[in-house]
Amino acid sequence: MGITLSAGETLQLVNINTDTIIFTLINTLIIFLIYRFFLHKPVMKILDERKEKIAGEMKAAEDAQAEAEAMKQEYFDKLKESREEAAQIVSAAVKRAGERENQILAEAQQEAADMKKKAEESIELEKKKAINEIKDQISDIVIMASEKVCEKEISKSDNEALINKFIAEVGNE
Amino acid sequence: MTDSMILMAEEAAERTFTIDGPLKSITFQFLGKEWVIAESVVTQWVVMVVLAVLFFILGRNLKLKPEGRRQVIAEWIVGFFTGYVETSMGQKYKRGYGPYIGALFCFIILSCLMGLFGLRNPTSDVSVTASWGIITFVLVLYTKIKTGGFKGYMKSFIEPMPFMLPFNIIGDFANPVAQALRLFGNNVSGMVIGGLVYFALGSFAIFVPAVLSLYFDLFSAVIQSYIFVTLTMSYVAMADMEE
Repeated sequence: MGITLSAGETLQLVNINTDTIIFTLINTLIIFLIYRFFLHKPVMKILDERKEKIAGEMKAAEDAQAEAEAMKQEYFDKLKESREEAAQIVSAAVKRAGERENQILAEAQQEAADMKKKAEESIELEKKKAINEIKDQISDIVIMASEKVCEKEISKSDNEALINKFIAEVGNE
Repeated sequence: MTDSMILMAEEAAERTFTIDGPLKSITFQFLGKEWVIAESVVTQWVVMVVLAVLFFILGRNLKLKPEGRRQVIAEWIVGFFTGYVETSMGQKYKRGYGPYIGALFCFIILSCLMGLFGLRNPTSDVSVTASWGIITFVLVLYTKIKTGGFKGYMKSFIEPMPFMLPFNIIGDFANPVAQALRLFGNNVSGMVIGGLVYFALGSFAIFVPAVLSLYFDLFSAVIQSYIFVTLTMSYVAMADMEE
């Protein structure tokens, strides 16, 4: 059983053939160019474009988020502001109402006091008037009675002096 | 020795096992020289046609938003090779070497798979693997001179010590030669062993050659293609004097 590495119409099994090397180099170059221009370049282009697009979209999303964040902050600020304002308005209203209350109370008290004073004054006046009237009437009645009783004319001036003395005594009681 | 044994030996001696080199498929005259196109070059043409059609179909009509499996496969292939180049050679070689490594790997692996279709595996021709070794040699030389300058390249022969000069010179040639012979040796040995098994089993060659073919034509092909491109990349990366 002999093993021979034979030639014939073939090349040697282990044989450096320059023609084969040249053709292989050309073939490798062609395959390299085909791979590069038909597969590598289009795919890399698409990958780069996608990368750019994703980066752009991410940036846009980040911007939108930042904007939303800013708007949220603004909204919170405004809300806080309006709450403060509302609280201020309410407190101002309460304060004003309190002042008004006090004012009204004071006015009412004042009025009541005035009215009371006036009433007291008028009562006093009425009383004085009534006393004077009564005094007059009493003096008239006393004069009439004394005229009737005495039937005697006392001089009117003496009479009146007497009566007034009497009334003053009565009035003081 | 009995007579019957002698008879068997004589019978065996009549059957001889031969493995031929690549067929001289075409010979022609051009520029005053006789050119020989070997069988392994013809098989390469078959591989080239298959790859050209495959790359063309995979690479056209790519969408920003991938549609269908075709684009996913195309992106996977390109991404795999550029990623592989990036991890083993670094960022700066990604764009330049990605296409070469991808094309070379596809070329080698499909060449090896041609054995499954009854064609002669081009990588079992040492001239073919030598061509790729030459490319590696040229790339290493180019990288050394580009990164270190001609002076730096010359100086690299006496580093780390002057007595290393002969070893460095041998090393420059030994790497691509070893790389070429490794691919050739693996594939030609697969072919020889497969042929021997066929020869030994004679008319009983049913199951065993299929298993061997599965190993040598499929498994070994993938591993050897991978090793070949990996070595190419590491030789070039090592030649970079800037790092």
